[in-house]
Amino acid sequence: MKRLLLIILLVVIFIPFLTLLVFSVGGEWSYPAILPGNISLKHWTSLFSGASGTGKALTISLVVSLAVATLATGLSFFTSRYLAYHRFRERLLVLAYFPYVFSPVILAACLQFYFIRSGLSGNVLGIVIAQLFITFPFGVIFFMGFWNEEMKRMADAVSTLGGTPLQGFLKVLLPMAKGALLVCFFQTFLISWFEYGLTTLIGVGKVQTLTLTVFQYVNEANIFLAALAGLLLVVPPALLLWFNRRFIVLAD
Amino acid sequence: MRPLSLSLFFLLAVGPLLLGIGYALAYSLGLVGLISEGMTADHWVKVVGGGEFWASLGTSAYVATMSIGIALLIALMATTSRYLNFQEGTASYAIYLPLTLPAMVTGFLIFLFLSNAGIISRVSHSIGLMEDIQMFPNLVNDVYSIGIIAAHTLMATPFFIILFANLYKSERIADYAHLAATLGGNRSQISRKVVFPMLLRPAFPTLVLYLIFVMGSYEIPLLLGRQSPQMVSVLAINKLQRFNLLDKPQAYVISLVYTFIVLSTLILLFWRSNTRLKASRL
Repeated sequence: MKRLLLIILLVVIFIPFLTLLVFSVGGEWSYPAILPGNISLKHWTSLFSGASGTGKALTISLVVSLAVATLATGLSFFTSRYLAYHRFRERLLVLAYFPYVFSPVILAACLQFYFIRSGLSGNVLGIVIAQLFITFPFGVIFFMGFWNEEMKRMADAVSTLGGTPLQGFLKVLLPMAKGALLVCFFQTFLISWFEYGLTTLIGVGKVQTLTLTVFQYVNEANIFLAALAGLLLVVPPALLLWFNRRFIVLAD
Repeated sequence: MRPLSLSLFFLLAVGPLLLGIGYALAYSLGLVGLISEGMTADHWVKVVGGGEFWASLGTSAYVATMSIGIALLIALMATTSRYLNFQEGTASYAIYLPLTLPAMVTGFLIFLFLSNAGIISRVSHSIGLMEDIQMFPNLVNDVYSIGIIAAHTLMATPFFIILFANLYKSERIADYAHLAATLGGNRSQISRKVVFPMLLRPAFPTLVLYLIFVMGSYEIPLLLGRQSPQMVSVLAINKLQRFNLLDKPQAYVISLVYTFIVLSTLILLFWRSNTRLKASRL
């Protein structure tokens, strides 16, 4: 019974990924055929030749998500250290939660005017800045737990032993924060990678990320390219999951 | 360094929110915008007094409650199952995999499976359950939002299973269940009186936040929802992007009223939860 249920569970878990894979190589799907016909690699080859635009969307998504994850992790790491030891720590933490009361797409709707006026609408830089508004508070909340009394005592010990604040930071705190920094980087990367509504409004359709491409293909009833773009969306998170398990969880 | 940190925090976390609320409020009151003719409460009266927004809010609440309710039930059954172990082994690793599916892809997959010409309809046809495509019920863009609920349930279930599996381990629930069994409790009593309360109480804030996340979701209802009533985010953005400029202030009213309702609910729920926690400690 245990083995049977485990097999059923694994089948259920893998069905979505297999479906995307099968449809990404399909060519036609007329009723009542269950699986698509005309199996070929033409959509995959169009990805590398640049004919479909999916390759470009993949590059833009990677650039945006890497930039957002790097900036959000770095900036929130430094900022949260100060906020964590602030006398109004609790109130500041509550403020960090506030952007999540807005749905990201509604937040974008309310901020769209400022982006248009500052020339940041419809370009990659604008999207990176807009996504920072949701990933930076996440990073601050994430790192607030890291900056505890033990970290403070560590920094104090370095200072007592004659080390400069910079030395204490580079030689003690940074190595200790390595795991947390990586996890925060992954999480903010994924928030950015999966983002659709905010990106649509701030990018005004000019910046095509992979999530926008999937929606566009579904709207055009091009399920094969939608499956290909969907599969490409799933690959980086799956790799990060494997990396997280292999190098962080097992290392801990 | 310290003033810089605080400035950065206000610039990236608090500032955008205040600017956004300020602009939305000014626009909704007719103080700014292309059609502004001075201060007016007309747009507020139209939205709050009309039925469209409340129907939309009701739909959002219905979808969120159904999705979270079903996912919660499945997750509780899976976590407490004697046959599946989500604390260690293959199932505990595999259950993380569905989390890599973004909302847009989940919506697309539900469309592929549940639409009239989708995979389930084709399988039903091939095994003789139906003769014609028209016989397949509308499960996408439908009256009961079945497609949206299915997509959100699919996304929430693995997340809740992981959450409960971790709680099961960290709260040592197995030990308490064993103790209850030693004291003569049957399986149903142990689940209802020991295991479920011990899992649900610490998970409460996460469940409420997830409920709000589903209520404010955009991609899935955009792909799988019907034209009317729409979920709140879709309604607000549709009004914002319509050619009729008179709808734009209403979009901002919807955004503000929705945010106010969510914020009030959150404050009330967490305040009550904190009060109960303090009372139980006394």
